[in-house]
Amino acid sequence: MSETIMRVEHVTKKFPVDGGRFLTACDDISLDIRRGETVAIVGESGCGKTTLLKSIMNMQLPTSGKIIFRGEDITKLRGESKRQNYRHIQMVFQDPTTAFDPKMKIKDIICEPLLNFDLISRSEVESRARELLKQVELPEDFVNRYPHNMSGGQRQRVAIARALSLEPEIIACDEATSALDVSVQDTIIRLLVKLQREKGITYIFVCHDLALVSMFAHRIAVMYLGNQMETLDGDKLENAKHPYTKALLKAVFSTDQEKNQYIGILPGDIPSPLDIPSGCPFQNRCEFCEEICKSKKPEFKEIETDHFVACHKHDA
Amino acid sequence: MLLSVSNLSISYGKNLTVQDVSFDLEEGKILTIVGESGSGKTTVIRAILNCLPRGGSISNGSMIFEGKNLLDLDEKGWRSLRGKDISMIFQDSGNMMNPIHTIGKQFIEYIQVHSDLDKKSAYDRAIENLTLMNLPNPANIMNSYTFELSGGMRQRVGIAMAITFQPKLLLADEPTSALDVTTQAQIVGELMFITRGTGAAMIMVTHNLGVASYLSDNLMVMSQGRVVEYGKTSDVIEHPQAEYTKSLLKSVPEIGGRRYV
Repeated sequence: MSETIMRVEHVTKKFPVDGGRFLTACDDISLDIRRGETVAIVGESGCGKTTLLKSIMNMQLPTSGKIIFRGEDITKLRGESKRQNYRHIQMVFQDPTTAFDPKMKIKDIICEPLLNFDLISRSEVESRARELLKQVELPEDFVNRYPHNMSGGQRQRVAIARALSLEPEIIACDEATSALDVSVQDTIIRLLVKLQREKGITYIFVCHDLALVSMFAHRIAVMYLGNQMETLDGDKLENAKHPYTKALLKAVFSTDQEKNQYIGILPGDIPSPLDIPSGCPFQNRCEFCEEICKSKKPEFKEIETDHFVACHKHDA
Repeated sequence: MLLSVSNLSISYGKNLTVQDVSFDLEEGKILTIVGESGSGKTTVIRAILNCLPRGGSISNGSMIFEGKNLLDLDEKGWRSLRGKDISMIFQDSGNMMNPIHTIGKQFIEYIQVHSDLDKKSAYDRAIENLTLMNLPNPANIMNSYTFELSGGMRQRVGIAMAITFQPKLLLADEPTSALDVTTQAQIVGELMFITRGTGAAMIMVTHNLGVASYLSDNLMVMSQGRVVEYGKTSDVIEHPQAEYTKSLLKSVPEIGGRRYV
């Protein structure tokens, strides 16, 4: 097992809303991220996965908690040291059409981070861009194109090339393949996996699609209403214990009719994050809900090696 | 046969975007059209309702619905058909509605345009349909604006409106693509329940091959404006003939399927 590259410790993020109330987008999240592995953060809209990612990226400060990376708590960094930290964590966004300046050429897009950190000179831009395009399996003569002259999949490759340019230790992907067609999605995932093998990059992959991340994630963290429900190895999804994880698994439609027999419908809607019930956040939709689930919030604990669950009834 | 489409071609100006599409749909059956972006799948169902975006027109083919050729209809004929015999469910029903009017106001207007019901009966009819879609507290929903509802609830409102006049044919354009997975499963379940319950046929456009396999009797695969493969869903999924279908099926992520690491 590889070393831990980043530790997320008890990160909580609250946003103030009208009437002096708070919306808790992330509640006490702890996560160990290991070098060269992919951690997938999975959940439905409003579960806090993007808020968590923004804290990890140091784009917003958590209300409390620490994020330990390269030996220091990055939430404490300010000014130039905070800026230098961005060299080591880069990001790929969901929509590659809006992630770029449409008036910039591909070579300038890819090399902008390098110029920002004074790592290359202007004259080196073209050659470095060609090199990076090669790594993401695009023709080198794309350097002089503009983003609108490319398909969605090609643009997402450019986004990956830009993220790679600084040779970061971690690349964070926020729904990086959700806007793409299924065959393109597959090729992008294979590219990411190949780059990970070659360079030992760590990915934090935020996604709503459990089936997709089951193909390449080493660890999967499932979130619901700002809470971490279950974290387990990506190849052990069939051992999932939390009723919510199980419900997510049952909601995936397959092209295999045999598997489709097990489609299960989780009743109800996600409660408003403004009035999260006391006790377990999943209580109103859970078929195993009992008295204790309504009164006491389940602890997020390790039930076997590397398998964490927050549920009173996980053996139900 | 409820609907027979033959040799349908659609063009935008000089560009032929859909070529030579043919299929038959029986009463109560579900057809899904799958394909990647730009394959022309949405264009096909929009043509059936004669609501192609500006510049689009049907350049060839015929569409026979209950014995009548839809292409012979005038604007008045379309009006009496749309929303009653054939209705549409959009990707995000929230966008279909006006954000500055309540859902109730728009629902009642819709019912009154298509029938002689007075306001009170139209209201009752709307409530009845919202209840059918498992929407809690329908009176409250009638007083809400679209942005006050979750995506799943908005989609249920859209379906409730589409089925008001018990249409013979429902057209659904990516009705679950904007939804979360558990909500998607709910809506897919409800669409099946509705079609089975009312005997309506449905044509659903989706890019989700899993949903298509689960839901449909027949499956049509489109690519670049042409039909690549068409047949019984189980045949197409289990024994795909076209290379394109095979590669598409291979890229679908599955739980417990292939792993790259």
